[in-house]
Amino acid sequence: MSETHRASGYRIYWIVWFILLVVTVGMMFLGTTALTRILILVLLAGMLLKASLIGGYFMHLRFERPILVVIVAVGILATAGVLFFLIAPDGVRVLNASGHGDLNIGGGR
Amino acid sequence: MSQVSSNHSLESAWRGGVSPFAVSWRKLMMWLFIITDGLLFAGLLAGYGFVRLASPQWPNRAEIFHLDFIALMTFILITSSATMATAVGAARQGRLQTAFWFVLLTILGGLGFLSCQAYEWGKLIGEGARLSSNPWGVPLFSAAFFIITGFHGSHVLTGVLVLSVVAWRAWRRRVSSEGVELAGLYWHFVDLVWVFIFTLFYLI
Repeated sequence: MSETHRASGYRIYWIVWFILLVVTVGMMFLGTTALTRILILVLLAGMLLKASLIGGYFMHLRFERPILVVIVAVGILATAGVLFFLIAPDGVRVLNASGHGDLNIGGGR
Repeated sequence: MSQVSSNHSLESAWRGGVSPFAVSWRKLMMWLFIITDGLLFAGLLAGYGFVRLASPQWPNRAEIFHLDFIALMTFILITSSATMATAVGAARQGRLQTAFWFVLLTILGGLGFLSCQAYEWGKLIGEGARLSSNPWGVPLFSAAFFIITGFHGSHVLTGVLVLSVVAWRAWRRRVSSEGVELAGLYWHFVDLVWVFIFTLFYLI
């Protein structure tokens, strides 16, 4: 295998690395500003983008059979999503029951 | 006819001796482990989400953590993931010496991350943070921090130990490319979890 082919075989990992860094820096910058609901959604989208890049390229899910990708995606993301969206309303109920009805997503910011 | 051929192809995929997922048994088992371990972290983060939503106030992370330092930790882990991916690529090409050096770089990245995490823990403990109390008015904040980052840190430490064995075996030309790949899957999973912790705990 030629050196050029080897180098191009590794290059995709470092391109992904660079994209991950850019997205991380962007998220850091946004995270230091006052949080709004839109900003939270943007941060969550950035998080999922990074997860997709790591899963797709570093873990080679892009090159595996779709059934394996479905098992991983459903096994983790869908289940975690269901877990969170079943639990989160209870948190809001507890907050309302304690008499602090205003949702304070941003915490102390 | 189409029903018969459909049943036949379904049977032939599961009759044994073939791999319906087109991966080895070891790799499939590693993926199943990753899924189950991912659900452990999902449970922890869902619990953290509950605690956040149920609390009328939550400490301002920007006042407690140096987000630049957390960004450095993220940079270290992402870079270690890239070096690990390169090691896997080299191992697949049969270049075990190259794989060894990149696994070594990955180990250094893991140790760097753990050092940063230890420093962060020491700083917070020095400021009075404990599992059951902290100076910022919300006891569950420090509990969530120590449990989530501690659980993740233990995974990083385990990964460093596993990679040390892989590096040793690569040095002695006794590791298979699949062995490096399986260790790589675990390491990328550890990085993946940090992506979620970094966003959900430190930024949001």
